[in-house]
This record gives sequence, C-alpha cells and structure tokens, in this order.
Amino acid sequence: MRFTEWLEELGRRVTTLFSGRAHFDHEMEEEMRLHRDLRARDLRDDGATAEEAYYSAQRRFGNSLRLREEIHQAWGWNWVDGLILDLRYAARRLRQSPGFTAIAVLTLALGIGASSAIYSFMDALLLRVLPVPDPKSLVVLKWHIATLDDSGPIGNRSVIHGRSGSTYDVPHLGHTGGIFPYPAFELFQRDDAPFLKLFAYYKTDRLNVMVKGQATVARGGYVSGDYFSGLEVVPAAGRLIAADDDQAGSAAVAVASYGFSQRHFGGPANTTGQTIVVNNVPVTIVGVTAPEFFGVDPGVSPSLFFPVHLNVRLEGIKPWGFKPAQYLDQNSYWLEIMARLRPGVTMTQAQAALAPRFHHWVETTATKDVERANLPELVLQEGAGGLDALRRRYSRPLYILLTLVAFILTIACANIANLLLARATTRRREIALRLSIGASRARLVRQLLTESVLLAFLGGAVGVGIAVWGIRFLMVLLASGRQDFTVIHPDLNWHVLAVAAALSLLTGVLFGLAPALQSSQVDVAPALKEIRSGESRARSSLSLSHVLVVSQIGLSLLMLVAAGLFVRTLKNLQAIELGINRENLLLFSMNASQVGHGGTEILSFYDGLQKRLAGLPGVRSASLAHTGLVADGNSSTCVIVPGKPVDDRTYYLNVGPAFFSTMQNPILFGREIDERDQLKSPAVVVVNEEFVKAYFDRQNPLGHHLTFGCMDAARDLEIIGVAKNAHYGDLRAEVPPVIYVPYKQSPVPSFEMTYALRTAGDPLAMAKMARDIAHQADPRVPVTDVITQTAAIDRTMGQEAMFAELCTAFAVLALLIACVGLYGTVSYNVARRTHEIGIRIALGARRGVVVWMVLRQVLALAALGLAIGVPVALATSKLIESFLFGMKPNDLLALTIAVLTLAGSVALAGYAPAWKASRIDPMIALRDE
Amino acid sequence: MPRDEIPPGTLYMLILRVLARSGEMHGYEIAKSIELLSRDILQVEEGSLYPALQRMLIKGWVKAEWGVTVENRRARYYRLTPAGRKQLEQEILQFERVIGAITRVIQAS
Repeated sequence: MRFTEWLEELGRRVTTLFSGRAHFDHEMEEEMRLHRDLRARDLRDDGATAEEAYYSAQRRFGNSLRLREEIHQAWGWNWVDGLILDLRYAARRLRQSPGFTAIAVLTLALGIGASSAIYSFMDALLLRVLPVPDPKSLVVLKWHIATLDDSGPIGNRSVIHGRSGSTYDVPHLGHTGGIFPYPAFELFQRDDAPFLKLFAYYKTDRLNVMVKGQATVARGGYVSGDYFSGLEVVPAAGRLIAADDDQAGSAAVAVASYGFSQRHFGGPANTTGQTIVVNNVPVTIVGVTAPEFFGVDPGVSPSLFFPVHLNVRLEGIKPWGFKPAQYLDQNSYWLEIMARLRPGVTMTQAQAALAPRFHHWVETTATKDVERANLPELVLQEGAGGLDALRRRYSRPLYILLTLVAFILTIACANIANLLLARATTRRREIALRLSIGASRARLVRQLLTESVLLAFLGGAVGVGIAVWGIRFLMVLLASGRQDFTVIHPDLNWHVLAVAAALSLLTGVLFGLAPALQSSQVDVAPALKEIRSGESRARSSLSLSHVLVVSQIGLSLLMLVAAGLFVRTLKNLQAIELGINRENLLLFSMNASQVGHGGTEILSFYDGLQKRLAGLPGVRSASLAHTGLVADGNSSTCVIVPGKPVDDRTYYLNVGPAFFSTMQNPILFGREIDERDQLKSPAVVVVNEEFVKAYFDRQNPLGHHLTFGCMDAARDLEIIGVAKNAHYGDLRAEVPPVIYVPYKQSPVPSFEMTYALRTAGDPLAMAKMARDIAHQADPRVPVTDVITQTAAIDRTMGQEAMFAELCTAFAVLALLIACVGLYGTVSYNVARRTHEIGIRIALGARRGVVVWMVLRQVLALAALGLAIGVPVALATSKLIESFLFGMKPNDLLALTIAVLTLAGSVALAGYAPAWKASRIDPMIALRDE
Repeated sequence: MPRDEIPPGTLYMLILRVLARSGEMHGYEIAKSIELLSRDILQVEEGSLYPALQRMLIKGWVKAEWGVTVENRRARYYRLTPAGRKQLEQEILQFERVIGAITRVIQAS
C-alpha cells in the first residue's frame, strides 16, 4: 500500500472514531433493521406467515453482537480500547511511585525542553523561508574564487579590486562572495532569459533620519527597480519602488517598513506622501511595506527602502562613499543580486546558462595575467530563505548546542532506562503471574512501552513549558546585546511542537524498549517461587544497567570537557591585557557630517563638544576618536617611513586631545596629543610599541617623520610620542602597528566620532547629561551606541560567554542526572544484596571492608566510563577548535578538571549507598528472611 | 432450488460489480441484486455483507450516504469511488486468471 493511501485510510478511521461510537452503532442498527424488515416483507410475499418471515429474517443475521464486534474490529477500535486500558494502567502505576515519576519527568522535561528551544532557533534561523509568494523560485547569485588575498607587494591578484560586503571561505571551493559590480548586474539583466525578474540589494550605512523635526538613526536598504516586483510583494499603503524610481537623477523617494510607519506616523495610512530628511536630503515616502515583510536579509530589518541610485546623494559625501563613477567600475564589487526563476527553469539550468556569460564578461575586466588565472566563477544558490549571512553565522553554534542537548537527552534516557530496569526486577512476580494466566508477551511489552511513552509525553509536556522559557533565555544569550537582532522571532510553532512530540515518542520507546523486552522474558516458574521480589539473580539486567551507567559517565565527561574548554576560552578572552583601563569609561557616537557639518566647521563642532563634555561634573576627562578603540571597527592604511619598504598593515586612529590620558593608555616616550596640536600647527603623530618594533628596530623614533597614506591624500607627520601597546579593533588579533593622528590634522577626514568619558563614578549615570550636552550642540545629530567600555568588550565575547554559561549549565545537569542514576543503581544493588552483606557482617567483615566492596564496583564503572570518554573527548574536541581562544582543543587542564570533577562526583554518589550498606544490621537482615 | 455460499474472497468483487452496474444501492438491494443476477444460486449472508461493506468504506472503495427509499424509510446508500472502480477491474482480472487455471486443471484429461 502506498503511503498516501495508508494516510487517507488512517484519516477515515480517525474521522469515524471522532464522529462518535454511539452514533455509529445507532446508524449500523438502523441499516440492519431496514434489511431485516425488507427481507421479512419479501418472505411474506413468497407466502410465509408474518411470524415465520420475521424469525427467518432475524436468523439470517446471526449474532448481532458478534457482528458489531467484527465491524468495530475492522475499524480498529479494539486497538483504541486496548490503548485506553493500557494508559489507565500506566497512569496508575506512575501514580504509585511519585518519586520515580517526578525524577523521570523532570529529567526528560529538561532534555526535551532544551532540545525544543534550540530547535526552535534552528527553525527560525536556518529553515524559515521569506514571507513572499513562491519563495522556492528565488535564487541568490554568488561567485567562487581561488584566492582573494590582495596583500603583499603584487597588489591585486584578482579582478575584485574593491569590495563592500562580506565574503567568506568555503572549504574546497575557495572564497565565496555574493557581491557584484553594477555592470555585471546590467549584464545579467540583459541576458535574463532564465529569470522572470532580476533584482539587487545593498545595505545602507547607519542613516541620520529626521522625522517631524526629531532626529533618529535608522538602517535602510537600497533596492533596484525590480526588487519589489521580483519578490511579488504588495504594499500596505501607497506604492512600492518601481523601475522608474531607480535611475540616476530620479526624484528622491523611499518606501517605509510597516514598523517605521507605525513608530513615526501612527500607521501606514498617514505615512504615504510624508517627507523626511535622510542624511540632509529630503526624501518623499511613497509607500509602506506589509507588516511581515523584512526584506531579503533575515539578519537586517531595514526601516527604509531606497532606490539604489539614491545612494550617490545619501552617502556620496565620504571620500570612499558612492560616486557616480562607481556604477561604471567593473572591478568594484558591492551589489547583492537575487532573481526569480522562470517557471519550469531549474537553478542548475539557469546557472549553466549564465556562468559562461559571466566568465566571458569577467575575463574582459582582467588586466593582468594573475587576475586572468584567478577569475571568479558564477554560482547560483537557493534563495527561498533570502541572503544567508545570518545562517552562516549561527548554524555552527546552533549545531554545537544541539549536540550538547542531545547528549543530555541521551543521558536522561539512559538514566530512566536504568531506573525502569530496577523497577522491572521488582515487578518480576507480577509479570510472571500475568504470563502464567495467559497474557501474551507482545501484549505485555506493549503495556510496558505504553507506560514509558506516557512518561515521556508527560516529560514532553513539561518540556514545552521549559522550552518557552529557554527560547527567551537563548534569545538574550544569542543576541548578546545586539539591538538589530529583532528580525528573527523563534516561537513555539507547530514545527517545534511536532519535534517535541517526536522526541517524546522516540525517547519513550528508547528507554522503555530494553527494560520492557527484558522483563517480559521472565522465566515463570522460578520467579513465582521467589519469596521476595528482590532476591533473584537478574544477571543480564545488571550488565545492561552497567552499560547504561558507563555510557552516562562517558557522555558527562564529554560535556565537562567542553564546558572546561569554553570557560577557559572566556577566561582567556577576559584576561587579555587591553593596554587601557576599561573601568569607568562611557562611550557614545555621533555623526555630525550627516546633517551638513563639514570642512573645518565640523572640527570645531566636535572640538567644542569635547570641551563641554570634559567640563561636566563627574567627568575626569573626555576625548574622542573616529571609532571605538576596542571592540569596534578599525582602519588600516599605508604608511611610508623613509628607508623602509611600504606596506599597508599599519592601522591608524584619528584621535582628539587627551585621548591617551582619557583611555589611560600610558605614553612611554615623548608626549601625548594635546591642545597644542591644532589644524594649522605642525603635523604630529604618536605611534605604538609595535610600530617602533616594525619600523625602527626598537630605536628611539622621536623626531623622525613618516608619511600617512600613499595616494593624493598623504601627509607628512613628525613622531612625538610612543604609546604602550593597546588593543585596537579585534580583541582576538595581535596588537598591530598603530599610528595615532590628531583628527584635525589627519589627511583622512573624520565623519562619525566616538566620544570617551572617563568618569569618577558609574559611567552610565553620566549618559543622560552627555545626551543633553550633545542635544544642545545640535539637536539634529542623534547620540548613538551609548555603552560602557566594559559592556562593549563583553559584547564581543557574547558567543564565548554563551557557550561557557550554557555548556557549564548543561554539564552540571548531565553530571547531576548521571549521579542520580548511579546512586539509584548502587542503592538498588545494595538493597538486593542486603542478605549477603548481613551474613558478611555477621561473619565479622569490618564496616570499612563493606564500604570498599560497594565503592570498588562504582569506581570500576567510573574508570571504564573515563577510559572510553577520555579518548573520545580528545578526538572530538577538535570539532570546536574554531570556537576556542588561547588554547588547544586537547587542553590538559580542562581535561584534568573534568576527570577529577567526574571522579569526585561519582565517588560521592556511590559513597552514600556504600555507607548505608556498611550500617546494615545483620540481625535484621537475616531475620528478614 | 439449491443455494450456495459465496466462495471466499469474491464477496468484494460481487458487491463492487453490482454497484458498478446500478450506481447507488442500500445493503438489502445489494444482497438482493447479487441473488437475482446469480439466478438465486448465490446467497449473501447478512453476517458477512455488512462487515464487508464497512471494510470497503475503510479502504475507500465505496462511499456511503444516507437517503430515503421509495417507501420513505431512511437507508444507507453505497456508491463506487474511482478507487473502487480500479479495485473492481483488478479483482475481475485476478478472478478470471484463477478460474481459468482451475478450469484447465479440471478439464485436463
């Protein structure tokens, strides 16, 4: 029978069952009565008497009860009846031992709840599709390239000279990116045979948006003219961006997201036609997207959508910002492209059609042989889930977490199986009795399985409650302070509930099957003869329970090792010598260039603000830099030091006066940048130790000169100080050579500035006053990213902190479950051997010997678990190597701590029953017979 | 006149066949029509007819709906589904193959 037919049949069975059995029987009855009446009438017509006819018709039906029974059986209702009986019986059994039930339900609930919570994140992050019609026909355009390394003396080794957007390594395929030059977009549009629509997307920088005189910052997206029509979405109000809007010189228009229109205009109806000012450019809102629409990138939810060509006006003021020439540049990669396949065209066909065209085109953009030997090749990827940056980022951590919770669930299952085994032995007499009066073994197994599945479903039900809580908790941990982590809403949808139910069923069968099979194998006669149920020598059940205990110990060790590695990683990160004092430091950012400040005027704007901030009571000193020092971006440049080879691995930071004293970054020689260093005064620079090491062979560099920048915007600077090494940018990287340049003298103008306030007390207490001062300076410039330096650093360790906390919690949980299991098993063994131990004590065995006798067995099990667990831990910890910092995966300390913790806990769990065994009173034990 | 039990396994085929012939029938009509068409040789046991009809409902070969007879009594009327029609073809093919084989065995000299 085919599966669909089986399913349809099941559907008919269930609908009939739910339509009610009484009703069904009633209809059956009526149908047969008609039959009898008609038969009797026909018999009468043939000449029989009325009475004869009636009885004859009746007789032909036979036993109507048996008939009904047969029909019920055909519909499968006797099976349902049996199930209900089994459930009642199981519920009664569980109620009889509330302690066992509570422990089993709780451990299962933790396992199932944690798994479901993590699965709900996987569902939301990795498996969900875009809320647009027919998402399956969407594709994302990407390329692979052998190498994207453009450092070193040769310069560019690929046609990709400039890129804006992320690229990533794929094992065996090389470097991968989803960004293209505008001419390539036009090429695909010209040759769009396999596509219904081809459209492009590009993330904006943070935008300054003025709505009704209120300044805010917002994220936006630039979209090509066919973006909305390609996604086939409809607006909530007004119209969406169309092809005419996306031309050089078109009117400045935007489409607002539903959320933006609600926040600022009270709903879509009032939004259309409004004018807002974006980066000092007036823009008309022509429409609002539907509430569920968030664009094509699940990681970013743009508040505003603009035509791509508007970027020249909105973000063209930076030197590296958008110039119209970039639309013609064939070597500048920046635009993300998606397309909707024509009906009937597969992704493979589309790729086969387009890849040669792209290859041909990209070949014409190469100018050197190295570039020609290393061309990007076009590949198509499924686009139903949109762009995949977020998925790439979270899939590995989620899989690791899923593995960990799977371990917990396995341990919990092993534990319950063990407890059930112990119980099964006490039930031998009952089962033997039932077998002897004719119950079939299959029926018994089914009944015992019903009990364990019921237990599992109870655990699953509580687990769903734990999952609800766990999802919230994980949300906080995964977001780790990122405010833009709002697109994804993991919730308890039916996928997750289905997974929880499937897990319950699976675990129920898993932990129930072995004990059920074993206990139905009871040898009837001896079991019935036993006086006490615990006296039997159930050798096989013991060895199975030993296997379960050993595997629990092994798995717990794996989790302890993982926890140790993650905790040590976090500790290593936290112990990094920053080079500055992170305490009592408040940071916030402002971008005055977005509202029209510029030239030398912006310098005095930032300068004036610094002076006012430094004068605040409670602020010891204040300074600023073009980016946060730690845990923010960083900027590299090329630097020329006479007599040294030019290279571009030096980093620069435009800083304000008193930067070093504010950050408490010690100056080793010379002086720091201060109020003497103005726009017109001699240009100066402070370098760090690493720079001195790289360019001056540790000689005193004071008074020497260097040239900042290689192109037209280069400037000669005199070195006036050497600062102690301080981390700049990525905390995990080595401290690079850094030059610190007064922002007023820097050849690279500063746009956004990050202020740092050294406070006397709690830095956050100063936030309100700092905001007020900034607002007074210019209300159009919003203050953003208000955060303490400590919090900013912690945020970069969010993932490590999450792993450390979660994994420690999981490991403790696993250990706890394993110890409870061990305690239960050993106690049970002791109880079983009461008689034997009583004799030993009566014959003069000392208490210590008895303790050791029991404990020895426990330690043997633990040793076996460790002997299996340690090599496995060593072999598998390599899988998490990329998540570790400052240590190797086979870290000896982490392993030692894990082994010691485990051995200690196991000894403790075993000692209690061992001690109890040594206290057995031989008189009572022997009289117990 | 001698009456014979319906050979095992052929009841489904007979029910399907008479339903295919006349569209909609209630249980008694089905039994009656099998008896009539077999010239009163085949006799349908009520004790097997109704369980068989229920099994065919489960399999989805027939559909049932309540209606009213000419004498204005409520009756459950059965009708073939496309799946039932296909089943009928298969059952007839199989039956003919078996009967052919049996005949050959009997007539072998």
